[in-house]
Amino acid sequence: MKEKIAVLMGGRSLEREVSLRSGQRVADALGERGYRVLPLDVTAELVNTLRSERPDAAYIALHGKYGEDGTIQELLEFLGIPYTGPGVVASALAWDKSVSKRLFRDNGIPTPAWVTFTADAFKEMGAATALDLIPEAVGGFPLVVKPAEQGSALGLTRVEAADGLAEALLSALSFGPSAIVERWVDGAELAVSVLDIGDGPHVLPPVEMVAKSGLFDFSAMYTPGETDYYVPARLTPEVEAEVRRLAEEVHVLLGCRHVSRVDMVVAQDGTPYVLECNTSPGMTETSLLPMAAEAIGIGFQELVEKLARAALDGLE
Amino acid sequence: MQMGTARIVFDRWDGRYAQRMRDVRSSATRDLFAAASRPDIISFAGGMPEISLVPTDAAANAAADAIRKHGLEALQYGSSEGRPQLRETIVELMAEIGVRAKRDDIIVTAGAQQALDLLAKIFLDPGDVIITEGPTYLGALQAFSAYQPRIICIPMDEEGMDTDALAAELTQLGPRGAKFIYTIPNFQNPGGVTMSAERRRRLLDLAREYDIPVIEDDPYGRLRFEGGHMRPLRALDEEVIYLGTFSKIFAPGLRLGWVMAPRPILGKVLLAKQAADLCGSAYSQITAEEYFSGTRWRKVLQDLTRTYAERRDVMLEALEEYFPAEAEWTVPEGGFFVWVRMPAFLDLKALLPEAIERGVTYVAGDAFYPDGHTGRNCMRLAFCYARPDDIREGIQRLAEVLEDRLELYRAFQAAGALPGAPVAKGVVA
Repeated sequence: MKEKIAVLMGGRSLEREVSLRSGQRVADALGERGYRVLPLDVTAELVNTLRSERPDAAYIALHGKYGEDGTIQELLEFLGIPYTGPGVVASALAWDKSVSKRLFRDNGIPTPAWVTFTADAFKEMGAATALDLIPEAVGGFPLVVKPAEQGSALGLTRVEAADGLAEALLSALSFGPSAIVERWVDGAELAVSVLDIGDGPHVLPPVEMVAKSGLFDFSAMYTPGETDYYVPARLTPEVEAEVRRLAEEVHVLLGCRHVSRVDMVVAQDGTPYVLECNTSPGMTETSLLPMAAEAIGIGFQELVEKLARAALDGLE
Repeated sequence: MQMGTARIVFDRWDGRYAQRMRDVRSSATRDLFAAASRPDIISFAGGMPEISLVPTDAAANAAADAIRKHGLEALQYGSSEGRPQLRETIVELMAEIGVRAKRDDIIVTAGAQQALDLLAKIFLDPGDVIITEGPTYLGALQAFSAYQPRIICIPMDEEGMDTDALAAELTQLGPRGAKFIYTIPNFQNPGGVTMSAERRRRLLDLAREYDIPVIEDDPYGRLRFEGGHMRPLRALDEEVIYLGTFSKIFAPGLRLGWVMAPRPILGKVLLAKQAADLCGSAYSQITAEEYFSGTRWRKVLQDLTRTYAERRDVMLEALEEYFPAEAEWTVPEGGFFVWVRMPAFLDLKALLPEAIERGVTYVAGDAFYPDGHTGRNCMRLAFCYARPDDIREGIQRLAEVLEDRLELYRAFQAAGALPGAPVAKGVVA
């Protein structure tokens, strides 16, 4: 029998259901590959169970708060359990888009113009009186409002005109303490995954998403049939090369290891913009990382095993 | 110290279920509840009757008599339509609320919930249109969804279903454009509102005009705290399909309800019932017959109603005292539920984890709409089950959670950044 791997999933985030779907597929794959699998929900009993079961590694199939913001990573390091995916700092940087976008901008990585607001800025400092300045700051409408902290596009609204801005901010701030308002870039939406397991980052084929509703939101993301996917993305060789270069740069800049998924949009003039970096990419049946891996002949089980081995073998 | 485990057990048959089960999957929010069943949480979520008011000796006698006096029947298969004696009891109960019917107009079901499933089964093909109130009973949505209909929701105000909106919808759909109209006219779940006499008339006229059957679900009708009795739809029109239940006037544990319908429809329901479970529990049915053979149940029902009325009063007072000015809520004249509406774009589903953190739960409004989005700025509060002190405490906790979020809303309002009232006053959702 191979090593014992705890698959961490669920938790009390709003992405619980998605995480359970990811986790179950991961657990099945590891089981098929002969590992002893310990599927664990993130509850108050987690630490106790980890201590008594002593897994050789943890596969993080958590999405959203605690799973992607560095919390679980910090805890696993404390318990001495190696885990899959980026470490504490990379997770924390990628989690907060207001931070990662600043890093992108300061390092010459194109990202759509944006402004960030915390709920406190509205509550304590009267920031709502400055909403009229936003369109100019980000380059006009349409624009997109979303929670600054990473998630499955929950609380995301596309805003067409000034009168929708306040409501969109309220909606985004229902999901976290800060929100970003970002220029809407019309173009092809891409997910570019990076595998980095011991021999440096390898960029997987970009996946292009076309939501039938026009907005790649939570429901488009997780409902089969609501989105069309193109693998590889329909890009010119030059643009594809640039997209791949940017994905690798983001991965390295944030200090990611094992895996990351960089989401971008390629404007109609061919300029790619980086939107965000995900450190715990979805592993459901409609998820983008498995799709990209499949495109170069890495099946789901193999992908999962590679990531698990990266943790087990201590690959940084 | 005994510790639990975080271990998850999977459904290894996932991926092999029928397509229709996708639509009746539990929501992420409900999973969240399951993950947070702490004893210190005050729950306004479930609509559970205060069963402790049903005297156990009365229930025990009824149950014992069912076996002692009628053992051979109680333990045997029974008739699919239900025992004639219990159906006579139902005829009498219906007469008390102004409905004239005969025993053979009634089939006993496993709670009214089974009747919802059976009716959906006999009426619905995938894609068929049905009409409900919006919001409506979650269990009805679950029962109907399995048969893959397209559900059209008609909004409500303080007089119940907006029949003008219904008329407009029916104009679009045309004659027989929907398979049925489902309504909970009394103390609606979750809206808490009661359909006015005028609207009842209008609904029935429209249903006749467009030749669409009406299903009247009346679980709470006898739990009226104030105001005059409203005649059931079935009392006004014999073609109405009426659903009743013993769950609120005796005990949900017996799983006894009934469906009253025109004979041809009842014939189809009977076939579906036979396929579903052959027959209901004779033991439960005899227990109910025994319980309702005396007069004590009337006193119990009075106690129940008085208790619910007190709890409603406590909840309404607490809402007045603690809830923010932006909140609006319905004032039910009976039943179990108050429906609260917050300003648009306050997402009460997103707020639920925080509420659970502070030790109070509710059901976010989107659970009562088939699209899973509408109603997110609303919540259903059940006042039936929590003790008065807990109701006050729970409402206070909830108010704090809301207050925190509203601070933000007010900051936008103060800056003139939000449009005025987004929804007209008096509209339930």
